[in-house]
Amino acid sequence: MSLLSQAMTVVRKDLLLEWRGKGRLISVLLFGVVTLLLFSFAVGPDSTLLRAAAGGFLVLALLLSSTLGLSESFRVEQEQRAIEGLLLLPVDPIALYYGKTLSNTLFLMLLAPVLTPVGLILYSVQLDLKGLAVLLGLWTLAAAGLSAPGTLYAAMTSRLQSQDVLLPLLLFPLVIPVLMGAVKSTTLILTGDPMSQVGSWATLLASFAIIYWSLCGLLFPHAIEEGI
Amino acid sequence: MSPRAADSAPLAVQTTGLGKRFGRQWALAHCDLQVRPGEVLLLAGANGSGKTTLLRLIAGLYKPTQGSMTIYGMDPDQEKLACRRTLTLVGHDNYLYSQLSALEMLQVWTRLGGLDLAEEQAVELLREVDLDDRRDYPVGGFSAGMRKRLTLRRTRLEKPKLVLLDEPFSALDAAGQNLIEEWIEGYRTAGKTVVLASHNLPRSTKLCDRAILLQQGQMLWQGTGNELLDHVGTTV
Amino acid sequence: MTRQFKWDSGFGLLGLLLLFIGSYIGLFVAPAERYMGEVQRIMYVHVPCAWNAMLIYMLAFIFAIVSLWTHRPKWDAMTTAAAEVGIVLNALLLVQGSIWARATWGVWWDWDVRLTTSLIMLLLFAGVLALRSFVHDSGRRATWTAIATIVAFVDVPLVYFCVRWWRSLHQVQSTPDTVAPMMVVPLRINAFAILFLAIWMMAQRARVELARGRQENVAEPERLAPIGGSSHD
Repeated sequence: MSLLSQAMTVVRKDLLLEWRGKGRLISVLLFGVVTLLLFSFAVGPDSTLLRAAAGGFLVLALLLSSTLGLSESFRVEQEQRAIEGLLLLPVDPIALYYGKTLSNTLFLMLLAPVLTPVGLILYSVQLDLKGLAVLLGLWTLAAAGLSAPGTLYAAMTSRLQSQDVLLPLLLFPLVIPVLMGAVKSTTLILTGDPMSQVGSWATLLASFAIIYWSLCGLLFPHAIEEGI
Repeated sequence: MSPRAADSAPLAVQTTGLGKRFGRQWALAHCDLQVRPGEVLLLAGANGSGKTTLLRLIAGLYKPTQGSMTIYGMDPDQEKLACRRTLTLVGHDNYLYSQLSALEMLQVWTRLGGLDLAEEQAVELLREVDLDDRRDYPVGGFSAGMRKRLTLRRTRLEKPKLVLLDEPFSALDAAGQNLIEEWIEGYRTAGKTVVLASHNLPRSTKLCDRAILLQQGQMLWQGTGNELLDHVGTTV
Repeated sequence: MTRQFKWDSGFGLLGLLLLFIGSYIGLFVAPAERYMGEVQRIMYVHVPCAWNAMLIYMLAFIFAIVSLWTHRPKWDAMTTAAAEVGIVLNALLLVQGSIWARATWGVWWDWDVRLTTSLIMLLLFAGVLALRSFVHDSGRRATWTAIATIVAFVDVPLVYFCVRWWRSLHQVQSTPDTVAPMMVVPLRINAFAILFLAIWMMAQRARVELARGRQENVAEPERLAPIGGSSHD
């Protein structure tokens, strides 16, 4: 069985589990909404300030929700040691990694269509459909960038004590380029982009994703060599 | 009970000085094991004697701290996937996703194992373990025995040469245990090698060609199944 | 009881000596900078710390690759030592940079590109050490430390370019050509001084890590005598 078909079997399995256990997605979305609310309370009902910071708050809420989603993605694997069952099969670990990373990317992509409208309403930001489409496209790149190291680290920390602390501690400094790229480009889309800089930031996001999808794919087989 | 393979055939499992340490604790040490192809070998010993560690080392889930090992002449470090294709392990855990149905679970395993089964074939496989009428139910709702039967069913999918079973009789009723006995006999007939770890000596000693007793992580005794029963009684 | 004079002690002593000489020249002999005045003298430790932090992190990256390749404890010890020493230098440069910013611009933190990147680097490598502290199996710990170090180091240029696009306030980097000769001398002396001290610290730390590993490596128990049974095959 080819690497691609193995990876797609893993994706199908994850999507099926996601569909059956919608609780995970809904909880993570609710968490995102709560985060957006907390940011507004931190700043106060100053609509000018909120509008200026909307891009940043939205991306931060997505980032925090993503980390929850990533750590949950391996909790289901560890419940009955299902991941070990997969490792016992002649599955190429690289296929396992890319399957898991792709399903995590798809999961993270689902957050933006819900959290973005909520953010736009709370922060009184106007955005046309074209802008929304561009925003969602950018978030897809960001989600891909987050998932690559996120899946690797979520796998490594899934059975460690203090996993809830370790995963964000490892991931957040690492994905600052993704955070900056997403915040800058989102803010430009929300407030106007007279110098067409969104393209450069999108390139940064894409570069990060490409670099880490390659690197983490190479490193994952080593990470699980002694079990996870 | 005679060896089936010619003398020149590689041993199913050969370990030399195999040992595994966890932290400061040696779970297994000085393990020099030779398992002939087609043999049914019983690993007996109390909890913590190293049976599970040994099985997991053979399955490639642990890396040895000391010593070396070959599986049908292959080095597991160099030919990891080939070794995985050769063997299967049923351990303490069930390896199940609670929210998938029995049929879906089987299909995930078969697809990832490189088999393309039609649904009817998968249902037939479930029928063998009396799970066909529960095929669309999520496995999270299964009893311990049902989950065990599903996980054991997996061992017959992959057509491995080496079957590793860790406490296969636990959590099963008499009917289930009889089924496992039948399967193990079937493996023997088909020329497969079986290494099983079990506390259930009355059943497992009947089935095995040879038995090894482990204590404190070391192999201390070898003999036939009946000799083991004489040596330790009916439970370890 | 004699103690063997270890090679790294030579580096340590030489480093201290050079640091004394370099700092003396930097503080008392080199002229004050035209615009910044006496405050500029902090450069004589700040810049060498920055250079060496980057160099040591790069060494950690190389050691991590070798550790992943060979699975030998020696390389894991060197990776850890380099990461820790890198963090120490990194922390020092942040403090020095803060002091300089306060004296020059009146604020402790001004989101200067290089300082911001340094802060992120510190957090990246601190994360590696945090991960390490939670893994108890030595094999897995070595593998995961190497992986986290490689992942962290690859991020550094990405972070740098990102922060640079995001904000740029740092003065134009002074190359030795644009700096008076008497300023270059203490800079270079201190650069070597801190490098030698870093090598000495890494050697010490690696030795401690190897000793810890040896302590964990409890020897295999003695082989127990068989207790009868029929002969094997």
